[in-house]
Amino acid sequence: MLHGEFKTPGGKLVQVDLEVCDGRLCHVQVTGDFFLEPEEALETIRSAIEGVPVAEATEDHLAWRIRQALARYGRPVEMLGFSPESIAQAVRRALP
Amino acid sequence: MTTVARWRRYRWQLIAGEAFDPAMQMALDEVLTRRVGAGERPPTLRFWEWTAPAVVIGRFQSLRNEVDFEEAERYGITVVRRMTGGGAMLTEPGRVITYSIYAPPELVAGMSFQESYAFLDAWVVDALRALGIEAWYQPINDITSTRGKIGGAAQARRFGAVLHHTTMAYDIDPAKVPRVIRIGREKLSDKGVRSAERRVAPLRQQTDLPRETIQAHLIQTFAERHGLEEGALTADEIEEARELVRTKYGTWEWTAILP
Repeated sequence: MLHGEFKTPGGKLVQVDLEVCDGRLCHVQVTGDFFLEPEEALETIRSAIEGVPVAEATEDHLAWRIRQALARYGRPVEMLGFSPESIAQAVRRALP
Repeated sequence: MTTVARWRRYRWQLIAGEAFDPAMQMALDEVLTRRVGAGERPPTLRFWEWTAPAVVIGRFQSLRNEVDFEEAERYGITVVRRMTGGGAMLTEPGRVITYSIYAPPELVAGMSFQESYAFLDAWVVDALRALGIEAWYQPINDITSTRGKIGGAAQARRFGAVLHHTTMAYDIDPAKVPRVIRIGREKLSDKGVRSAERRVAPLRQQTDLPRETIQAHLIQTFAERHGLEEGALTADEIEEARELVRTKYGTWEWTAILP
């Protein structure tokens, strides 16, 4: 199990736990002391990271994928104390 | 609209006095948020009393990353997960001041989430200052002071209502907190800021006043500013909360929903 943390400047701590399966990010868990409405959007964020090939898991690409997924969520999503970029940073730090 | 006018649009009801166990506290928050959202109870201010110590983790926190479960068990501390985001808190009977505000969303209409935190706790900051405690609001969600952090707030917008709850340390032993709540290296290394931020300064270090006196002063301040009528939980609300303890807040599935 790999673990990465990123403290959002002026905001909250994002923690990511994941593994690498066949060169892709798998068993991803995104947690932290942030605020998110609606709560179900956490699964949308997680799914946007799950399955991404490690070779493509740059900070920009991960943040873009999370943004795209949230834009398609169907209702406005409020993130307080963290951002797609801070989640992407935590993922990067989890990777060797 | 002025701040006072926003609050004064509602007839606020007070619930205080009765103590509950940690899972029941979580459940009562959901039930009362639902009831206010459905228009089945007036906007409400609830002061909590605890029957047992607890570590209360945020909705989006990882159980194993945040809590040393074995240490918590050794101290007889229950671990529960609340419906709002934010960080883990240690609470003990008679050693914290906790309250919840259950409000219609119109109370904070037009504000950003961040602005609404400071708005909903402004009466508390002013009440503490009137007692000689140099407190202020530290965005996003902390009540802090020259001596250190006093407490933190968390919100959820759900079921057609806003839930805003705050816990302030009154006489928590700051050395006990890191024994049960894990604080990540990343937090500690954040430009050294985190250690200062984490410096908890319970109210007892800043005043000789008993907890009950401070709480009574908070209630009086709310009543004078916003209006407040005595109220009580209904038997129906308590029964619904007990059911939610059985099906959600008292279950391992919920507490470990993010293992």
